[in-house]
Order: sequence, then C-alpha cells, then structure tokens
Amino acid sequence: MSELRKDIITGRWVILASERGKRPDDFRPAAPEKKEEVPAFCPFCEGNESKTPPEVASLRKRGTRPDQPGWRVRTVPNKFPALSRGLPPERHDEGIYQWMDGVGVHEVVIENPCHLQELPDLPLPHIQDVLSTYRERVKSIEEEYQYKYVHVFKNKGREAGASLSHPHSQIVATPIIPKQVNEELYSCERLHLQLGECIFCRIIREEKKIGHRLVARSDHFCVVTPFAPRFPFEMRIYPLRHSPWFTSLTEKELRALAKTLKLVLCKLRDVLSDPPYNFYIHQASNPNLPHEAWVNLEKSYHWHMEIIPVLTRVAGFEWGTGFYINPVPPETAAGFLRS
Amino acid sequence: MKKRLLIVEDEKNLCLLYREELTKAGYKVTAVMDADTALEQLKKHSFDLIITDIRMPGKNGIELITQIMALRKDIPIIINTAYQSYKHDFMTWAADAYVVKSASLDELKDKIKELVG
Repeated sequence: MSELRKDIITGRWVILASERGKRPDDFRPAAPEKKEEVPAFCPFCEGNESKTPPEVASLRKRGTRPDQPGWRVRTVPNKFPALSRGLPPERHDEGIYQWMDGVGVHEVVIENPCHLQELPDLPLPHIQDVLSTYRERVKSIEEEYQYKYVHVFKNKGREAGASLSHPHSQIVATPIIPKQVNEELYSCERLHLQLGECIFCRIIREEKKIGHRLVARSDHFCVVTPFAPRFPFEMRIYPLRHSPWFTSLTEKELRALAKTLKLVLCKLRDVLSDPPYNFYIHQASNPNLPHEAWVNLEKSYHWHMEIIPVLTRVAGFEWGTGFYINPVPPETAAGFLRS
Repeated sequence: MKKRLLIVEDEKNLCLLYREELTKAGYKVTAVMDADTALEQLKKHSFDLIITDIRMPGKNGIELITQIMALRKDIPIIINTAYQSYKHDFMTWAADAYVVKSASLDELKDKIKELVG
C-alpha cells in the first residue's frame, strides 16, 4: 500500500507509491544519451567574452584582463534580463490586483571555460571557486537594499531547464521574498516556538541518529534524502553549523561543501546515469534588511541546498493538488545512493 | 555608402513591410523568409547587420544564429520576435539586441541605427 507523508516544514503531503517501487535502473534511459557535443558557437566558451555583457566578477590567471580569456570562473549580468537593476519598486494597485516594476538582478556564473567539463568533473579547488563566487556575489547583491532575496540555482540538462549546455549557474535577486521561501521562513519560526530549537538542527540530529535516509556525512555537512520528498532521489545538503545564511560559510566550510557537492553529483551520475538535475540554495532573506515578521529568524532558519534529479514529470495531479507522487521511498533512494 | 541589411522573417507581409520601411530609411535591404536562404545569402554577399525572427518553419532563429556565429562572428545581429520568452535561451546572447515586435518599427530602427549607423 502507498503511504502519505507530510513535510514538517512546508506542510506539503506526498504520496510514496512504494508498491510501484523502482530500482535506479528503471530511471536510466533505455539507450545511452547522445554524448554532449560542443556547439558551433557558445557565448559562454573562452574566447567569446565579447558576446556577454562586461563581467561583474571573475577568478582568473594573474596578469589577464577582464573580459579576456584566462578566467576560471566568470560572472556576467544577463544580456537580456527579465528583471533589471533599479530603484526599490513601488506596489501599484489596479482594482483588486497589485503590480510593480520588474526590478531585480539576474547574473550567470560560468563555472569553467571548457564547454564539456561539468561541475563534478572539476577538481575540488575549482568547485570551491564556484561556491566562493556564489558567496561573494550574493554578499555583494545583498548590499543593495532593494533586493529582499537572492536565489542561487543551477539547471543542468535541457529537461531541467538549461538552454545552453555550457556549465553555468544563475543568481536572481528579487524585490520580494519568493512565496516558497516566505512560507518556509514562517514555518521555521513557528516550529522554533514550538520546539525551542531550529527545526533543521532537529532534523539533522534525528537523521544522523536513524541513519536510514543519511547518504553521507562529514565534519561540516550531511546529505540526506528528506522524509517526504517530492521527487525520486531528491537530496538535501545540510550544514552542521547552524546559520540562516549561506554567505556565513568560512573558507574551511566552503572546502568541505565543495567535497560534499562533488560527492553528491558523482553519486547522481553513477547511480542514475547522469540525469538532468536542478539544485538551489535556500537561505534566509537579505540580512541587511529588517527581518519584518520574523523575530527569531537568526535562530529559527538554517540555510541548505536542495538537489533534485529530473527523473519524473510533474503533471496534472501535481499541478492541480500540490500533492506529489514519488515512486521511490527516500529510505530506498538513500540506500542506493550510499552503496 | 548604404549599409546592407539581411532580414529573415517568415511572415510575408512583415517581410515586405520591413523591406519597404528600411529601404525608405536609407538601407540596402535583402529580405528572405527562411534560415537556409539567409545562410546562402550570407555566403554569397556581405552584410552589415542581420535581423532575424526566432519562430520560423525549418531552422529556427536560434539555430540560424549559431550557424552564423560559426561563419561570421563580426556581423551584428538583432533578434526581432513577438516573444519575450526567448530571452531565457542563452544562445540569444550571440545577438547584439533583442527587439520585441510591435506595431511601430521605431525601436527596431533605433537599434539598427545604434549598431550600424
């Protein structure tokens, strides 16, 4: 019989259709996917720097100049942004509706100059450079007080929403806190009042004790499959040190996160034959702004990464109800991922 | 000397309108209705600017831009489409400007002027 499980933070229910339980092989493509090839032209490849807007940050060889070859990680603003930098937008009323100007930031982090070298292929110091770039860009954008939330994410593969195969991540800052993050912040505040501690710290303690959903752990991070995952093989990377903000990571923790992320992405590749995936960082709202309704934000929220391999399709049932049907229980997924 | 423009637009009436308006504006215009013909023109003649639609039968504008870049990286390109959503496709970054089609050609003419004079 299937099982209904509730996510303690979001309150979202999922259906674990365990009788339809599958093995990782069931998610592998029937025929090996066509090996990615370098397209005739790619605006993110080294040598094509003139096709992007001027870089806002880069890690590059000493002596090389901005917007020239010689970089390891390069961050550029979106050339045709949907949201543009501007003054704090005002909310306008239009009858019963509200709207505001599309103010925001949209940057692309080009993770390496080589088109075919994916994130897990990179050596650890290079992955650390990518993570360090995220941290520094988020810090810098958060200094602009009109942006309440800065979101870091990666789409890998067309099925996961990537329009270009060159390895890249994105940073989008918005003048409002996205609904999903807002609900998480509220829920964590409420749970903090109930439990007297951060719900994520509690989850980490429980998961380490039970062990069924634990995929990996180190001195600084642990990887788990959540109790009520929406998708098969969905994973979370939790930092063991409590902090609401990703930007609080120390150099030592960045190194450890690079190692953990590489491990997770290699496991996806090995166990599920390199599926498309999304990952994103969830952190608290801009620390330079008043925390609005959250009195205990610093104690109640805990930044983390969510990794979602794209193995199933979200369809009418999920869109219409908010329920997700997941054919692989997280305990089973963790078992495969540990092995 | 007149600047040479190559316009790729699959909608016949729009194609004629662009040719007429931009010729009036002082440009030498070649207008074609699909990507393959555009590539043939590019191999035969030199152009100062390319204006292309995205949604076209056969090769779409993104594929066309990719192939143009492999042939000639130096020609400026304007994407001229009815859709905002192609901004999410990073291959559009190969272009120099993105103009959303509207009843007026002012924005398109301004961009052309900005890029080639």
